[in-house]
This record gives sequence, structure tokens and C-alpha cells, in this order.
Amino acid sequence: MALDRAKKAGASYADIRINRYRAQVVNLRSEPDFATGKVNHVPTASDSEIFGFGVRVIADGAWGFAASYSVTEDEIARAVKDAVEIAKANAPLRSSPLELAPVVAVHDTYRTPIAKDPFSVPITDKLALLRNVADDAMKVSGVFSVTGFIAQRVEHRFFASSDGSQIEQHVYQISPEFTATAVEKGKKQKSRTYRPHAVTAGYEAVERAKMPSHARRVGEEVVNHLKAPPVTPGKKDLVLLPTHLGLTIHESIGHSTELDRALGYEANVAGTSFLTPDKLGKFQVGSEIVNFKGDRIRKESLSTCGYDDDGVKTRQFPIIQKGIFVGYQTIRDQAHLIGQKESMGCCYADSYDSVPFQRMPNVWLEPSSKPTTLADLISGVDDGVLIDGRGSYSIDHQRYNFQFGGDAFWEIKGGKVGPMIADVAYQSRTPDFWSACDAIGGEALWENIGLNADGKGEPGQINAMSHGCAPSRFRQITVLRTA
Amino acid sequence: MGWTREQAKQLADQILSYSRARDCDVRLDLVQRTHTRFAANEVTTSGAMVDLNISVSSRDGKRTGTLQVNETSREALKKAVARSEELMHSAAPDAEYMEDLGPQQYPEVHAFNEETASATALDRRAGIQQAMEISRARKLKCSAFVQTTSRWSAIANKRKNFGFFASTQATFTSTARTQDATGSGWAGGASPRLLDISTQSIVERAAKKAESSANPRALDPGKYTVVLEPQAVADLMPNLLFSFSRRIADQGKSFLSKPGGGNRLGEKLFPDFVTIRSDPFNAQWPARPWAGGGGAGMGGARGGFLGFGGFGGAAFEGLPVRKVTWIDRGVVNGLSVDRYWATRVKVEPLPFSGTLTMEGGSGKIEDLIAGTERGLLITHFWYIRPVNPQNVELTGLTRDGVWLIEKGKIAYPVNNFRFNQSPVNMLKNIEAMSEPVVTALKDFSSSPMVVPAIRAKDFLFSSKSDAV
Repeated sequence: MALDRAKKAGASYADIRINRYRAQVVNLRSEPDFATGKVNHVPTASDSEIFGFGVRVIADGAWGFAASYSVTEDEIARAVKDAVEIAKANAPLRSSPLELAPVVAVHDTYRTPIAKDPFSVPITDKLALLRNVADDAMKVSGVFSVTGFIAQRVEHRFFASSDGSQIEQHVYQISPEFTATAVEKGKKQKSRTYRPHAVTAGYEAVERAKMPSHARRVGEEVVNHLKAPPVTPGKKDLVLLPTHLGLTIHESIGHSTELDRALGYEANVAGTSFLTPDKLGKFQVGSEIVNFKGDRIRKESLSTCGYDDDGVKTRQFPIIQKGIFVGYQTIRDQAHLIGQKESMGCCYADSYDSVPFQRMPNVWLEPSSKPTTLADLISGVDDGVLIDGRGSYSIDHQRYNFQFGGDAFWEIKGGKVGPMIADVAYQSRTPDFWSACDAIGGEALWENIGLNADGKGEPGQINAMSHGCAPSRFRQITVLRTA
Repeated sequence: MGWTREQAKQLADQILSYSRARDCDVRLDLVQRTHTRFAANEVTTSGAMVDLNISVSSRDGKRTGTLQVNETSREALKKAVARSEELMHSAAPDAEYMEDLGPQQYPEVHAFNEETASATALDRRAGIQQAMEISRARKLKCSAFVQTTSRWSAIANKRKNFGFFASTQATFTSTARTQDATGSGWAGGASPRLLDISTQSIVERAAKKAESSANPRALDPGKYTVVLEPQAVADLMPNLLFSFSRRIADQGKSFLSKPGGGNRLGEKLFPDFVTIRSDPFNAQWPARPWAGGGGAGMGGARGGFLGFGGFGGAAFEGLPVRKVTWIDRGVVNGLSVDRYWATRVKVEPLPFSGTLTMEGGSGKIEDLIAGTERGLLITHFWYIRPVNPQNVELTGLTRDGVWLIEKGKIAYPVNNFRFNQSPVNMLKNIEAMSEPVVTALKDFSSSPMVVPAIRAKDFLFSSKSDAV
């Protein structure tokens, strides 16, 4: 009905997404009472179920979009009319009409493979798990507080387009984690997080994470971190574990290879990219051992699904090969702008009432073809730092200059890992950093690192994706002392 | 479209009538958004969306269960209340449980503009068209974003508390870049009234900045005196204000904590001329008359998903807001106190809410530049993140125009920088301020504030950025 009405109103293309989103966050904060010192446990249990539709049209060569929470025939008719009117109002401002890369029309369904529906697991069980974690971590002397959560969501998406596609998808995502904090009152504080991989999967991901078995270690490490001496700043070799490197990949390679940034579509907010189209196929971003893939099909990765929000079947594609920039993340209305004939399937809208646009897929670093171990990486370092987990992170709006902290740091001296150190951050420039990568761990060490919430666009939207990698070594990077 | 106070109350009362729990809180948000986006000299996306958030929290004196939905049939609402009660029964007891508030007196805040609420795509096109014409005439590559938001919010509970607030917000921002990609300029504005935003002036400011920042010269990082435009000041404020929490200070986790215990409330930490308030009644950017909650949020409905690490849904829920002076002539005059913490430290709760305002001087930014022997003029900042929460050291980058000032005049444009700097020290190092102005609504960082441009010494830039 919507697509017919859009055509009749003058749209050359139309699609409708009718989506239902269910999400649940179970949270527990445990900290000492101000007056008595007794540990207070503060749980939060919240559930959401949101339903609505969004209609997107091209009329007179411009996009128009309208959406509503009220999924009725009348409201859909009103939204179609609005979307076409918006497109026609903006059409005079376009210098040339929009072009869409071709797509194969399909009638298909996709469902994330899950073993255990996370919404079938009682909240009491989830809170009990978080309580066990908090109790064990807080048994470690010096732990001040513990927070933990289990967040889960399912998107039930229906997509139909005037190209003839009808696609239904159920995509499950789940993310557990907990953080312990230690405080030297009025002087300093440190936190340590256990963040099992956020994945597209069911509750089995929480069970295999074995959070309670990490509680004491996390508690001990945060106390050690609080007592650890500061780093001596200077040029050092870094060995970065996957739990840390995933975010560096995201910011430096993931965002710089988005075509909409490179074309200037994000110039007003998220920024542009140093990887401009003239560099495609030529520019050396990293050393010859550096290979990245864009991907929306890898099992359990957060961006994995059957079809994107353009109705394009998802796929895997090269981004960096032997250190050279070879591929952008693209969608249907942009591929032709760099002379390409097909979309890489990277279109996504974070809600029924959000406009679909180019979002980052899973972007992952290929492991070494050799069975390189973590010990191999460390043994080659005379003066360096081993970094685990995420800390402070910041990168410029063209994805050159970045600064990253971490969650835990150990000194490396003479090829051996020493005691914990503190107050570490490193700064580099994306091509310099990846050119300094001289060793990557083997496939056995590869981990799939999920990032829960990446912001982009106007109005702002959120996206989740994974950045798999193995531990990797970077030579002579500038290390700062942050306190 | 939209609700009257009576319509919102009717829906809230209907939901409360289904409740069997001892207490029930309802938050309603009906939101209508329209936007037009223009980038690389082309209109890109444009839309009109209407969204509804209904949040129901059932409470039994020990536990709380919260459900967020957006379907309004009788059956859907009954089911929502029942499910929130199931969640409540499943939840563990909350050691910081606070009883629901009784009837509150919420102040009148006038924030709704009918013309803004009814703006069409053609109304929004006007500013975009100006951006396009100016950029084409001046051979620039231009982007712009205009958005209007109309919101009807209500709060209600079984203890007969009820509040209603209708508001509109309009924002317009523009970035111009030179064709050779060596210069970039940004400007923006925000108001409850779309027609009060001078899109022509914003586009011209962005264009002028792009042209005058082109072909920047290389300058080494280091400590510089800076003249921060009001937007750059606003960009640094949210992280500073997060520290103004009594709980965080008492727990020893803030620059307002004393070593070993206690807080620095009442201490003079800043120069005499630093006064910072929050003011929900500010006419340039008024705010909702109650604190906490709001219908949207709790994480999870949209694309990403986050845990909820706050102080709990009832921390500030429903407290009437008022104008508060957090720093009074250099003295730490207020710390926000959530309802639970207030019982433990035996003070009245104090929510942080409303628009941040900072007193300034009497002159213009040109006066600050004229009084600078050598320094840097900064347009705004990007990707600001805390590095050390204890002293509020932040890192981030300059963006869209940096110029060297020599002997009271702008000498030439220079490269962008990464900074590593605490806004605490920045406030301590202020030398002069301009008149305050309202800043823009930036999607990923600061809300509009009313702040001056400032000149401050010893601002640390730790490295150079090649980005333009």
C-alpha cells in the first residue's frame, strides 16, 4: 500500500521499514554506604518494546523521509505524502538527481543463530549473576565499588521496496560486562573492566563469558593498578591486546574508510577522511602485513545480518590489502560517485524513525598466516608497554591524530612482561601507526571485539559493530604520562 | 499534532488506573522532529518523524521495574503496566530506594513556539539555500544542518504528582571548506524559535572562517595563551560540571574531594570573576521544569546498546528545578545532590538542570584578541574525552579554524592541535572574558549554553594534527 501510494504521488523509488525493537538492560551498582560503610546494592531492571515505521522515497531526484510510531493505514498514507512533499521541496537544491546502484530483488528472511533466547532468561538470574560478581570482586581489599550490566536487544525488521524486495530479519545482540573501581580518596582512582565480547548471539554468550570466574582477578588488578608507578614517557614499542586494539582499529581504519566521510557528507559533524577517493588503490596506510576486511556476514559480529537497510545482501570485502587502501564502505546512492557499480551493503538506520545511511560494518584485521604467539610479540620488545582493554580515546576529524589510553598496562623490559604501570596514553598518526606495525599474532589469538555504540550523522544515530584482531606489535610510538 | 496539558494528563491517568503496584510513575514524551541536511553542496537527507515514549515504573517500596513502550491501544497500555509489575517482582531490593514524591509545584517555563512546531520543508530550505548560494558564489564546499524538535512531556504518579511541559527547539549549523581542502570554518546557532536563528549570518561566519583559515602555517605544540570562542568554552563545560556532584566529591573521586575525605564546598578555587549557574528559565534556551527521567532513554531501543550506569531512575526523579549558582565569584557554592545521597549527608537534594550560564565581561571577542600579545584563537573543539577524572584532564582537538594572534592582531592561520588540559585549570587561568552569548546544539557534545569567549593563559597543546 505504502509503495503504491508513493509511486502514485510521483516517487521514482520507495521503501518502507516496519520495525519492532525489544531491549532489556539489567544493571547492578554496588558501593559502600556513606555513613555505615555497608555495601549498598542498587539494581535497575528496564525493558523496552518500540514499534514503528519509516518511509523513504526518491521524488524529482531527491530523498524524502517520514516516520511514525503509529502503524496504521491512515498514518502510513500521511507519512508517504509527507515524504514525497519533502523530497519535492528539496529537489530544486540538487545539482543532479540521485542514482541508486542496482540491487537484486529478493523475498527472504534472516535470523541470528541463537542457542538461548536472552529474553527467556529470568531477570532474577541475571541480577543474581551480577550480584555474585560484585560480591567476589569486593572481597578483594581495596576495591571501592563494582558496577555490572547485561544488555540485550533484538531488532525485528521488515523491509519492502519498490524494487520488489520483501525482507524480514531478526537480529539479536547481547553485551555483558562489569567494572571494579579503586579509590585513593581525593588523590586518584582507577577502574578495571571485564568486557566479554559483545556479539550477535543469545544468552549463551553470557554463560560462556564466565563472569564470576574473572571477578577476583579484576578486583586484584584494579587495586594493583591504583598502586602502580606511572609510566616513563617517551618512544616505546607497544604490544596491544585485541581488547584494546579493537577500538584503535575502529577509530583509525573503520571511520577513515567510510565513503560518505570521504565525500564530505559528514563534514558538518563527524568529519571527513584523510583517505580521499584519489588515494583508492594507491595509498600505503600500513605495513605490508596489514590487511583489513569489511564484513557483515561473519558469525557473531555485531553488524552481521542478512541484508542492509537498502535491501542489499550483506557481504565481505577488502579494505586494506598489504597495507594499501583498496576499498570503501558504501551504500546504493554513493557507489556511482567513485565509479563503482554495486553497494558494499553498509546501509543502516538505528530506529524506524531514523534515515538509513552509510554505517560502519565489522572491520577486522587479518591474523598472521604464521602461528605467531603473544610470547613471540613480547620477546622482541626491549622497552615497551603491554596494553589491555579500553581507556580514553580521541581522534581528529580526518582520522589522522589520535590518543588512546587503556584499561590496564604492564611494562615490557628485555623481552619480558614486568609489573603493572599506570597513567599511560599513546599518540600517533594513522598511517604512521599502521606502518609501525611489524608483527601480528596468529589465528589462534584472533578475537572478535564488539563495540556497542558508535555515533554518527545528523540527527545523530547509534550503531554497533565488531573489530576482530589478534595481539599486534607497534614500534616506537609516542607514550605520554597522563597524571 | 501535539498534546494539551489535559490530553497528556488523560493518557497518564489512564495508564495509572491500570496499576496494581503500591506506586507507579509514568513519563510521557511525544516528539516531532524535522530536519534537512546539506553536504558537499547537495541536499542529502530530509525527514519528518513523530515518536512517542511511554515509560512506566512500578514500585513496591523496595523494588522498581521499568518498561518503555510506544503503543497506545488500551490493551497495549494495560499489558505495559502489567509487564512493569512483573519486572518489579523480578528485581532485587534497591538499597537506595526512595519513595515517590507527592504533588510538586513546577515552575512555569515558556519554551514553545508555534511557528517552529509547524515549520515545513520549505521553511527549512531557506537557510539551506543560503548556504548553497554563498558556497557556490564563493567557490566553497558547504554543509549545513537544520532541525526542529517539538516535544510534549509529562510526568505523573499515583501520589497525585503531575507535570506538563511543551517545548520547541531549533538548531542550524554550517561548515564551509575551501575547494583545495586547506581551510575549514564552522558556525552554529540554536533557539526555541526557528525564525530567531540568523542562518545568513551563520553561513557567512562559516564561509569567512573557511577562507581565512586556508593554507595554515605549521606551528609547534606547547603551552599557549588562548582566546576561546564561546562555542569552544561550551565544549569543555560538560565534563567540568560532571564533577560538581556531592556524591562523587564525597567518595573522593573528584577535584572537589579533599585528600582522605570530605569535599571542597565553600572553598575559593577560581578567580573572583568566575561565576557559573544553571538556569532553567533562561529565555534563550529554557529547560524542562523537573529533573530526572524524561521518557526517552534507559538505553537499548536504538541501534547501539549501553548499560545504565547512573544513580538509578529515582535519583532526581520529579524534583522541581531552580536556578542554582555552582561557582559564585570563584567560590564552590553548590554541588548537585541526588535524593538518596541527600538523606545520608543530611542536606536537601539539589538537581543539576537547566541551561548552563557563565558570567562574562563587557566587551567583544575582538577586545580579547586586541589584548593578546601572543596566543591562539580557537573556533571550537572536537572529540573531547576525559583522560583523568580526578583532575578533569581532557583530551580533544581544535577544529574549523585556528589562528595565531600576535601583538593584538590575527597574524595567520595555523594547523590544528590536540590538547591535554583540565577545564579546572583553564578557569583558574582566565585573564579576560567577553559578553556571554548563546552557543549551538552540537549533536555529539554540548547543549546550548550562555557563555562568554575567554582569554586564558597556559593552555597545553600536546601535538599537531594534520586534519583540516
